[in-house]
Amino acid sequence: MKYFDELKRSMDWLNEQPNTLFLGQAVEYAGTGMTNTLKDVDRNKMLEMPVNEDMQMGLSLGMALNGTVPISLYPRWNFLLLAANQLINHLDKVKIMSDGGYTPKVIVRTSIGSQRPLHPQHQHIADFTSGFRAMCETVDIIRLEEPNQIFEAYQYAYNRTDNRSTILVEYGDYYNEK
Amino acid sequence: MIKMTKEQLINFETDIADCFNNAIIKAPVHLYDGNEEQMIDIFKNVKSEDWIFCTWRSHYQCLLKGVPPEQVKQDILDGKSITLCYPEYNIYSSAIVTGNIPIATGTALDIKRKGGTNHVWCFVGDMTSETGTFFENWKYAINHDLPITYVIEDNGKSVCTDTKSVWNTDELYFAKETRKIIYYQYQTKYPHAGGGKRIQF
Repeated sequence: MKYFDELKRSMDWLNEQPNTLFLGQAVEYAGTGMTNTLKDVDRNKMLEMPVNEDMQMGLSLGMALNGTVPISLYPRWNFLLLAANQLINHLDKVKIMSDGGYTPKVIVRTSIGSQRPLHPQHQHIADFTSGFRAMCETVDIIRLEEPNQIFEAYQYAYNRTDNRSTILVEYGDYYNEK
Repeated sequence: MIKMTKEQLINFETDIADCFNNAIIKAPVHLYDGNEEQMIDIFKNVKSEDWIFCTWRSHYQCLLKGVPPEQVKQDILDGKSITLCYPEYNIYSSAIVTGNIPIATGTALDIKRKGGTNHVWCFVGDMTSETGTFFENWKYAINHDLPITYVIEDNGKSVCTDTKSVWNTDELYFAKETRKIIYYQYQTKYPHAGGGKRIQF
Protein backbone atom coordinates (compact mmCIF):
# COMPACT_ATOMS: atom_id res chain seq x y z
CA MET A 1 0.00 0.00 0.00
CA LYS A 2 1.05 3.56 -0.55
CA TYR A 3 1.87 6.18 2.07
CA PHE A 4 -1.54 7.87 2.03
CA ASP A 5 -3.39 4.56 1.99
CA GLU A 6 -1.49 3.35 5.04
CA LEU A 7 -2.35 6.57 6.87
CA LYS A 8 -6.02 6.18 6.04
CA ARG A 9 -5.92 2.52 7.06
CA SER A 10 -4.41 3.59 10.38
CA MET A 11 -7.11 6.20 10.99
CA ASP A 12 -9.81 3.68 10.11
CA TRP A 13 -8.33 1.28 12.66
CA LEU A 14 -8.09 3.96 15.35
CA ASN A 15 -11.71 4.86 14.59
CA GLU A 16 -12.69 1.31 15.51
CA GLN A 17 -11.13 1.55 18.95
CA PRO A 18 -13.80 2.37 21.53
CA ASN A 19 -12.19 5.27 23.38
CA THR A 20 -10.64 7.35 20.60
CA LEU A 21 -11.46 10.87 19.47
CA PHE A 22 -9.98 12.87 16.57
CA LEU A 23 -9.52 16.59 17.20
CA GLY A 24 -7.87 19.55 15.54
CA GLN A 25 -8.49 22.03 12.76
CA ALA A 26 -9.68 20.53 9.46
CA VAL A 27 -10.97 17.37 11.11
CA GLU A 28 -14.69 17.78 10.50
CA TYR A 29 -14.12 20.35 7.77
CA ALA A 30 -11.88 20.01 4.75
CA GLY A 31 -8.63 21.89 4.70
CA THR A 32 -5.47 19.82 4.83
CA GLY A 33 -4.01 16.65 3.42
CA MET A 34 -4.66 14.97 6.73
CA THR A 35 -8.40 15.61 6.37
CA ASN A 36 -8.60 13.11 3.53
CA THR A 37 -7.24 10.34 5.76
CA LEU A 38 -10.27 10.81 8.04
CA LYS A 39 -13.00 10.56 5.44
CA ASP A 40 -14.36 7.29 6.82
CA VAL A 41 -14.02 8.18 10.49
CA ASP A 42 -17.28 8.32 12.46
CA ARG A 43 -18.47 11.94 12.59
CA ASN A 44 -19.30 11.50 16.26
CA LYS A 45 -15.63 10.84 16.89
CA MET A 46 -14.49 14.11 15.30
CA LEU A 47 -14.07 17.37 17.16
CA GLU A 48 -13.26 20.43 15.10
CA MET A 49 -11.20 22.82 17.20
CA PRO A 50 -10.73 26.57 17.19
CA VAL A 51 -7.25 27.47 16.02
CA ASN A 52 -5.46 27.52 19.32
CA GLU A 53 -2.64 25.02 19.34
CA ASP A 54 -1.63 25.14 23.01
CA MET A 55 -5.25 24.98 24.14
CA GLN A 56 -5.82 21.99 21.86
CA MET A 57 -2.91 20.13 23.43
CA GLY A 58 -4.17 20.96 26.92
CA LEU A 59 -7.68 19.81 26.01
CA SER A 60 -6.21 16.61 24.64
CA LEU A 61 -4.39 15.96 27.89
CA GLY A 62 -7.46 16.82 29.95
CA MET A 63 -9.60 14.41 27.94
CA ALA A 64 -6.94 11.74 28.27
CA LEU A 65 -6.97 12.14 32.05
CA ASN A 66 -10.64 11.22 31.89
CA GLY A 67 -10.00 8.05 29.89
CA THR A 68 -10.17 9.07 26.24
CA VAL A 69 -7.31 8.46 23.79
CA PRO A 70 -7.27 11.64 21.70
CA ILE A 71 -5.70 11.70 18.26
CA SER A 72 -4.66 15.35 18.16
CA LEU A 73 -3.88 16.69 14.70
CA TYR A 74 -1.32 19.40 13.90
CA PRO A 75 -0.83 19.57 10.13
CA ARG A 76 2.71 20.98 10.39
CA TRP A 77 5.55 20.94 12.91
CA ASN A 78 5.53 24.74 12.71
CA PHE A 79 2.01 24.72 14.12
CA LEU A 80 2.77 22.11 16.77
CA LEU A 81 5.55 24.40 17.98
CA LEU A 82 2.83 26.68 19.37
CA ALA A 83 1.67 23.84 21.62
CA ALA A 84 5.12 23.35 23.14
CA ASN A 85 4.05 24.57 26.58
CA GLN A 86 1.32 21.99 27.06
CA LEU A 87 3.38 19.33 25.31
CA ILE A 88 6.67 19.78 27.18
CA ASN A 89 5.54 21.15 30.54
CA HIS A 90 2.44 19.02 30.97
CA LEU A 91 1.84 16.04 28.68
CA ASP A 92 5.49 15.06 28.91
CA LYS A 93 5.76 15.66 32.67
CA VAL A 94 2.41 14.52 34.11
CA LYS A 95 3.51 10.92 34.55
CA ILE A 96 6.67 12.05 36.37
CA MET A 97 4.90 14.67 38.50
CA SER A 98 2.34 12.13 39.68
CA ASP A 99 4.84 9.32 40.30
CA GLY A 100 3.21 7.28 37.57
CA GLY A 101 -0.27 7.84 38.98
CA TYR A 102 -1.57 9.67 35.93
CA THR A 103 -0.91 7.81 32.68
CA PRO A 104 -2.79 9.70 29.99
CA LYS A 105 -2.12 8.59 26.44
CA VAL A 106 -2.33 11.12 23.60
CA ILE A 107 -1.51 10.36 19.98
CA VAL A 108 -0.25 13.46 18.17
CA ARG A 109 -0.20 13.60 14.38
CA THR A 110 2.05 16.14 12.74
CA SER A 111 3.86 16.53 9.46
CA ILE A 112 6.90 17.97 7.78
CA GLY A 113 5.30 20.26 5.26
CA SER A 114 5.41 19.29 1.61
CA GLN A 115 7.67 21.27 -0.70
CA ARG A 116 6.55 19.84 -4.04
CA PRO A 117 4.93 20.96 -6.33
CA LEU A 118 4.32 24.09 -4.26
CA HIS A 119 6.90 25.36 -1.81
CA PRO A 120 5.11 26.97 1.15
CA GLN A 121 8.26 28.77 2.30
CA HIS A 122 10.07 28.87 5.58
CA GLN A 123 7.31 28.88 8.19
CA HIS A 124 5.64 25.72 6.88
CA ILE A 125 8.31 23.10 6.21
CA ALA A 126 10.14 22.60 9.50
CA ASP A 127 11.15 19.29 10.99
CA PHE A 128 11.56 19.91 14.73
CA THR A 129 11.90 16.22 15.59
CA SER A 130 15.41 16.48 17.01
CA GLY A 131 14.64 19.54 19.10
CA PHE A 132 11.51 18.06 20.61
CA ARG A 133 13.21 14.74 21.28
CA ALA A 134 15.78 16.69 23.27
CA MET A 135 13.04 18.31 25.37
CA CYS A 136 10.83 15.28 25.98
CA GLU A 137 11.44 12.83 28.80
CA THR A 138 8.43 10.58 28.29
CA VAL A 139 6.75 11.54 25.02
CA ASP A 140 8.00 9.36 22.17
CA ILE A 141 8.52 10.70 18.63
CA ILE A 142 8.37 8.43 15.59
CA ARG A 143 9.13 9.63 12.06
CA LEU A 144 7.13 7.79 9.45
CA GLU A 145 9.69 7.31 6.69
CA GLU A 146 8.16 4.41 4.80
CA PRO A 147 4.59 3.30 4.05
CA ASN A 148 5.09 -0.13 5.57
CA GLN A 149 5.88 1.25 9.03
CA ILE A 150 2.80 3.51 9.33
CA PHE A 151 0.06 1.12 10.39
CA GLU A 152 2.30 -0.67 12.85
CA ALA A 153 3.42 2.65 14.33
CA TYR A 154 -0.13 3.85 14.96
CA GLN A 155 -1.11 0.48 16.44
CA TYR A 156 1.93 0.69 18.69
CA ALA A 157 1.04 4.24 19.77
CA TYR A 158 -2.44 3.12 20.76
CA ASN A 159 -1.58 -0.25 22.30
CA ARG A 160 1.68 0.61 24.03
CA THR A 161 1.61 -0.63 27.59
CA ASP A 162 4.06 1.90 29.00
CA ASN A 163 1.30 4.54 28.70
CA ARG A 164 3.57 7.01 26.99
CA SER A 165 2.18 9.50 24.53
CA THR A 166 3.46 9.42 20.96
CA ILE A 167 4.07 12.03 18.28
CA LEU A 168 3.94 10.54 14.80
CA VAL A 169 5.67 12.66 12.19
CA GLU A 170 4.48 12.33 8.62
CA TYR A 171 6.05 13.68 5.44
CA GLY A 172 3.73 15.82 3.40
CA ASP A 173 5.58 15.09 0.18
CA TYR A 174 5.22 11.34 0.63
CA TYR A 175 1.43 11.57 0.39
CA ASN A 176 1.94 11.69 -3.37
CA GLU A 177 5.42 10.28 -3.81
CA LYS A 178 5.54 6.98 -1.91
CA MET B 1 -17.34 17.63 51.17
CA ILE B 2 -15.46 19.29 53.99
CA LYS B 3 -12.61 17.45 55.62
CA MET B 4 -10.89 20.28 57.49
CA THR B 5 -11.86 23.22 59.68
CA LYS B 6 -10.56 26.76 59.28
CA GLU B 7 -8.28 26.30 62.26
CA GLN B 8 -6.91 23.02 60.94
CA LEU B 9 -6.13 24.61 57.58
CA ILE B 10 -4.32 27.52 59.22
CA ASN B 11 -2.41 25.18 61.51
CA PHE B 12 -1.34 23.03 58.57
CA GLU B 13 0.15 25.98 56.68
CA THR B 14 1.76 27.28 59.88
CA ASP B 15 3.43 23.90 60.33
CA ILE B 16 4.66 23.93 56.73
CA ALA B 17 5.94 27.49 57.15
CA ASP B 18 7.87 26.42 60.24
CA CYS B 19 9.36 23.48 58.36
CA PHE B 20 10.39 25.74 55.51
CA ASN B 21 11.77 28.43 57.79
CA ASN B 22 13.88 25.78 59.50
CA ALA B 23 15.30 24.65 56.16
CA ILE B 24 13.62 21.25 56.33
CA ILE B 25 11.98 21.64 52.91
CA LYS B 26 14.48 22.05 50.09
CA ALA B 27 12.00 23.09 47.44
CA PRO B 28 9.60 25.99 46.90
CA VAL B 29 6.38 26.18 48.88
CA HIS B 30 3.48 28.56 48.25
CA LEU B 31 1.25 29.00 51.26
CA TYR B 32 -2.35 30.08 51.69
CA ASP B 33 -3.60 32.41 54.41
CA GLY B 34 -6.71 34.48 54.88
CA ASN B 35 -8.97 32.64 52.43
CA GLU B 36 -10.01 29.68 54.59
CA GLU B 37 -13.68 30.61 54.81
CA GLN B 38 -13.98 31.18 51.06
CA MET B 39 -12.31 27.85 50.32
CA ILE B 40 -14.50 25.97 52.76
CA ASP B 41 -17.57 27.54 51.17
CA ILE B 42 -16.44 26.45 47.70
CA PHE B 43 -15.73 22.91 48.83
CA LYS B 44 -19.22 22.56 50.25
CA ASN B 45 -20.21 22.06 46.60
CA VAL B 46 -17.32 19.81 45.60
CA LYS B 47 -18.19 16.13 45.28
CA SER B 48 -15.66 13.35 45.81
CA GLU B 49 -15.81 12.37 42.13
CA ASP B 50 -15.17 15.95 40.97
CA TRP B 51 -11.88 17.06 39.47
CA ILE B 52 -9.69 19.76 41.03
CA PHE B 53 -7.06 21.59 38.95
CA CYS B 54 -4.72 23.77 40.97
CA THR B 55 -1.76 26.05 40.57
CA TRP B 56 1.51 25.90 42.52
CA ARG B 57 -0.49 26.92 45.61
CA SER B 58 -2.71 23.94 46.35
CA HIS B 59 -2.40 22.71 49.94
CA TYR B 60 -5.92 23.79 50.94
CA GLN B 61 -7.54 22.15 47.92
CA CYS B 62 -5.76 18.86 48.60
CA LEU B 63 -6.77 18.88 52.24
CA LEU B 64 -10.37 19.88 51.56
CA LYS B 65 -10.71 17.21 48.85
CA GLY B 66 -9.82 14.63 51.44
CA VAL B 67 -6.14 13.84 50.99
CA PRO B 68 -4.86 12.91 54.48
CA PRO B 69 -2.87 15.82 55.98
CA GLU B 70 0.07 13.56 56.80
CA GLN B 71 0.26 12.49 53.15
CA VAL B 72 0.15 16.09 51.91
CA LYS B 73 2.80 17.08 54.42
CA GLN B 74 5.10 14.21 53.47
CA ASP B 75 4.82 15.09 49.79
CA ILE B 76 5.63 18.72 50.62
CA LEU B 77 8.63 17.61 52.67
CA ASP B 78 9.66 15.55 49.64
CA GLY B 79 9.72 18.73 47.57
CA LYS B 80 6.51 18.28 45.60
CA SER B 81 4.52 21.24 46.91
CA ILE B 82 4.27 23.10 43.61
CA THR B 83 2.97 20.16 41.57
CA LEU B 84 0.90 18.08 43.97
CA CYS B 85 -0.96 15.42 42.02
CA TYR B 86 -3.31 12.85 43.54
CA PRO B 87 -4.98 10.67 40.89
CA GLU B 88 -7.02 8.82 43.50
CA TYR B 89 -8.59 12.16 44.46
CA ASN B 90 -8.76 13.61 40.91
CA ILE B 91 -6.32 16.40 41.78
CA TYR B 92 -3.82 17.87 39.30
CA SER B 93 -1.55 20.84 40.05
CA SER B 94 0.68 22.77 37.68
CA ALA B 95 3.49 25.19 38.44
CA ILE B 96 3.18 26.89 35.05
CA VAL B 97 1.05 30.05 34.81
CA THR B 98 -2.19 29.15 32.93
CA GLY B 99 -0.97 25.56 32.60
CA ASN B 100 -3.87 23.92 34.39
CA ILE B 101 -6.59 25.81 32.50
CA PRO B 102 -6.88 24.00 29.13
CA ILE B 103 -6.33 20.66 30.83
CA ALA B 104 -9.23 21.37 33.16
CA THR B 105 -11.34 22.51 30.24
CA GLY B 106 -10.49 19.30 28.37
CA THR B 107 -11.52 17.13 31.28
CA ALA B 108 -14.81 19.03 31.50
CA LEU B 109 -15.30 18.57 27.76
CA ASP B 110 -14.70 14.83 28.09
CA ILE B 111 -17.12 14.55 31.00
CA LYS B 112 -19.82 16.26 28.97
CA ARG B 113 -19.20 14.14 25.85
CA LYS B 114 -19.55 11.00 27.96
CA GLY B 115 -22.64 12.19 29.80
CA GLY B 116 -20.86 12.28 33.15
CA THR B 117 -22.27 13.99 36.20
CA ASN B 118 -19.07 15.10 37.91
CA HIS B 119 -17.75 18.63 37.79
CA VAL B 120 -14.39 20.33 37.25
CA TRP B 121 -13.02 23.06 39.50
CA CYS B 122 -10.10 25.07 38.13
CA PHE B 123 -8.27 27.44 40.50
CA VAL B 124 -6.28 30.38 39.14
CA GLY B 125 -4.70 33.53 40.52
CA ASP B 126 -5.48 37.12 39.63
CA MET B 127 -2.70 37.56 37.04
CA THR B 128 -3.62 34.30 35.34
CA SER B 129 -7.24 35.39 35.10
CA GLU B 130 -6.14 38.33 32.95
CA THR B 131 -4.43 36.17 30.31
CA GLY B 132 -5.65 35.24 26.88
CA THR B 133 -5.53 31.57 27.84
CA PHE B 134 -8.04 32.14 30.61
CA PHE B 135 -10.36 34.09 28.33
CA GLU B 136 -10.22 31.55 25.51
CA ASN B 137 -10.92 28.60 27.76
CA TRP B 138 -13.68 30.35 29.68
CA LYS B 139 -15.27 31.37 26.37
CA TYR B 140 -15.08 27.78 25.11
CA ALA B 141 -16.58 26.48 28.35
CA ILE B 142 -19.40 29.03 28.23
CA ASN B 143 -20.22 28.43 24.57
CA HIS B 144 -20.19 24.64 25.00
CA ASP B 145 -21.76 24.76 28.46
CA LEU B 146 -19.09 22.58 30.01
CA PRO B 147 -19.34 21.34 33.61
CA ILE B 148 -16.56 23.53 34.96
CA THR B 149 -16.13 26.38 37.42
CA TYR B 150 -13.07 28.61 37.30
CA VAL B 151 -12.17 30.00 40.72
CA ILE B 152 -10.24 33.27 40.61
CA GLU B 153 -8.31 33.84 43.81
CA ASP B 154 -7.28 37.48 43.91
CA ASN B 155 -4.54 38.28 46.40
CA GLY B 156 -3.61 41.34 44.36
CA LYS B 157 -0.19 40.23 43.29
CA SER B 158 1.68 38.00 40.93
CA VAL B 159 4.90 37.06 42.74
CA CYS B 160 5.49 40.67 43.87
CA THR B 161 3.95 42.43 40.88
CA ASP B 162 0.73 44.39 41.33
CA THR B 163 -1.62 42.76 38.82
CA LYS B 164 -4.02 45.67 38.43
CA SER B 165 -1.22 48.20 38.14
CA VAL B 166 0.58 46.47 35.28
CA TRP B 167 -2.71 46.02 33.40
CA ASN B 168 -3.54 49.64 34.19
CA THR B 169 -6.95 48.84 35.59
CA ASP B 170 -8.83 49.31 38.84
CA GLU B 171 -10.67 46.05 38.57
CA LEU B 172 -9.90 42.62 37.17
CA TYR B 173 -11.68 41.84 33.90
CA PHE B 174 -13.67 38.95 35.35
CA ALA B 175 -14.24 40.32 38.85
CA LYS B 176 -17.98 40.72 38.29
CA GLU B 177 -18.48 37.79 35.94
CA THR B 178 -20.57 35.02 37.48
CA ARG B 179 -20.99 32.63 34.54
CA LYS B 180 -18.85 29.61 35.44
CA ILE B 181 -16.66 31.85 37.59
CA ILE B 182 -16.27 32.29 41.31
CA TYR B 183 -14.21 35.34 42.20
CA TYR B 184 -12.95 36.27 45.63
CA GLN B 185 -10.34 38.55 47.15
CA TYR B 186 -8.12 37.84 50.11
CA GLN B 187 -5.04 39.13 51.83
CA THR B 188 -2.28 36.83 52.91
CA LYS B 189 0.46 37.18 55.49
CA TYR B 190 2.79 34.96 53.49
CA PRO B 191 5.02 36.08 50.62
CA HIS B 192 4.65 34.58 47.15
CA ALA B 193 6.97 31.73 48.11
CA GLY B 194 8.32 30.46 51.39
CA GLY B 195 7.31 31.08 54.97
CA GLY B 196 8.41 34.68 55.34
CA LYS B 197 11.91 34.12 56.61
CA ARG B 198 15.08 34.24 54.55
CA ILE B 199 16.68 30.81 54.65
CA GLN B 200 20.29 29.86 54.11
CA PHE B 201 20.32 26.22 53.04
